[in-house]
Amino acid sequence: MQHCPYTTMNIPGNTVVTSGTDVSVFERQQARMKWQQQQQEGLFNGNDHQFRGLVEVKPDPGLQYGWPDFSDGCQGQAIPSLMEDHNLKKRKAHEDQKQKVVLKENSVKEKKIKGCSEENSAETSSKEKPKAVEGPKQEYIHVRARRGQATDSHSLAERVRREKISERMKYLQDLVPGCNKITGKAGMLDEIINYVQSLQKQVEFLSMKLATLQPRLDFDIDSLIMKEMFEVPAVAYSAEVANSAYFQVNSLLEMGNNPIDAMLRRSIGGPVSIPETFVVSSCFNQMQPGVTWDGDLHNLYRMEIQQESSTIPFQPHKFTGLYEGSNLKMEL
Amino acid sequence: MKVHTSSKLRKEFIKKWVKGLQICCSLKKNMDILERKKKIKLCADIALASTKNETTLWSIALISDAKKDDENKILVDNLLGPESRFKPRMTNRQMIACHKRVRSKKILKKSRHVCQKMKKMGPPKSNLAAYIAKTLVKRRTQVLKRLVPGGESMDEFSLIKEALDYVLSLRIQVDVMRTLANANEVLNQSDSKIID
Repeated sequence: MQHCPYTTMNIPGNTVVTSGTDVSVFERQQARMKWQQQQQEGLFNGNDHQFRGLVEVKPDPGLQYGWPDFSDGCQGQAIPSLMEDHNLKKRKAHEDQKQKVVLKENSVKEKKIKGCSEENSAETSSKEKPKAVEGPKQEYIHVRARRGQATDSHSLAERVRREKISERMKYLQDLVPGCNKITGKAGMLDEIINYVQSLQKQVEFLSMKLATLQPRLDFDIDSLIMKEMFEVPAVAYSAEVANSAYFQVNSLLEMGNNPIDAMLRRSIGGPVSIPETFVVSSCFNQMQPGVTWDGDLHNLYRMEIQQESSTIPFQPHKFTGLYEGSNLKMEL
Repeated sequence: MKVHTSSKLRKEFIKKWVKGLQICCSLKKNMDILERKKKIKLCADIALASTKNETTLWSIALISDAKKDDENKILVDNLLGPESRFKPRMTNRQMIACHKRVRSKKILKKSRHVCQKMKKMGPPKSNLAAYIAKTLVKRRTQVLKRLVPGGESMDEFSLIKEALDYVLSLRIQVDVMRTLANANEVLNQSDSKIID
């Protein structure tokens, strides 16, 4: 593929797209950055002061493991734009290829960059042989041309844009399963499209399934229970019950069906009152998270907690079959 | 860490989703299966978008799209509450005008490109691979724009970022729905056992 292979972060990144799914992404990044940093410190002694400032920013991407960066928008973390040697070589190889500079795209990008100007003033890309070229029209990004590179503002802006895109592509690569071997932009886009389509189809299918399973839209006992669980801490319960309910929520969400199965098991084999609540609740037509629920649920929770250690996965083969099926879909 | 944030999101999603379904149910009883499915999906989508709190473009677009339909509007407003800041970005007339503008710009751009290409027909062979690659990328970004809600008005760069975020949220949605569906199945089976 002619397209420039994914260069490591070199850019005045306005935003850091962190996938959050893989801690390994960050580890990789950090390892990469450390490697780059070591290289530079050997080479660019003159630019020490710049790097000092930049390096301090560096640990930030590693510290965040969640999603929050999407909300950061333009005031994300400034990735120190570090220069890599291998980048240089790749650049030289591609220097002849000039993408068609679409002025409109440039202006759009410039507008966006202007909007995110706070972080960008700190960014520079280092060079081996400095050419006295200022960045493109925006005074916020200082991009120096590398040796043997075209120096007009268009191509510089183009390069910045390209690198940003390839950086994003890399994150997407980690996110979308099975994308590790594909390195071209078009192929990556293809995979992403397939993945999004398959997820959307799954949503359709699942909502259809839920519609068939529920004769009325008043929805399920377990959703009611879940809702109850959310509201339980708000109701005047003792602290222990609230905590246990909270743990229940977590376990329910993370362990999937097993707690419900356990509850079912209790209901089938347990004391008389419990099955009643299930039968009664299944006949409920209205949403009535009323007082009558609380006591029964309270009992349910207690039993659940006491016997949680003895939960056996209920019909495991069935569920794994379902999961495998959908996993297959995901990997397509 | 990821587990914590995602489980928090999942909880929020479930909450909003169930709430939306309750509202649906109270608004109209005895829907047939297709309507139910639509409502379920709609509520799920809105719940998903609202977990983002307007920080991403796709969530804003999703909600404003949902609001365009009058009958859904009530539902959405009820669901999101009076503090909902999700006002439709533009009125219908404005949207039409916007689309017209966008389309005419596209036509202009396309014709300009075609002219330039005609001029540049110099060394077609050497650039053929590049040309093909570029067209492929262009085609696929178009498809992606159609898939991601609100994608048409994004430039390529933010499109990828939005797609990323959208994928993550979709995953959560699928996950939650699947667990619910499975639990439901189990419940139904055991219900029949109890009754039998």
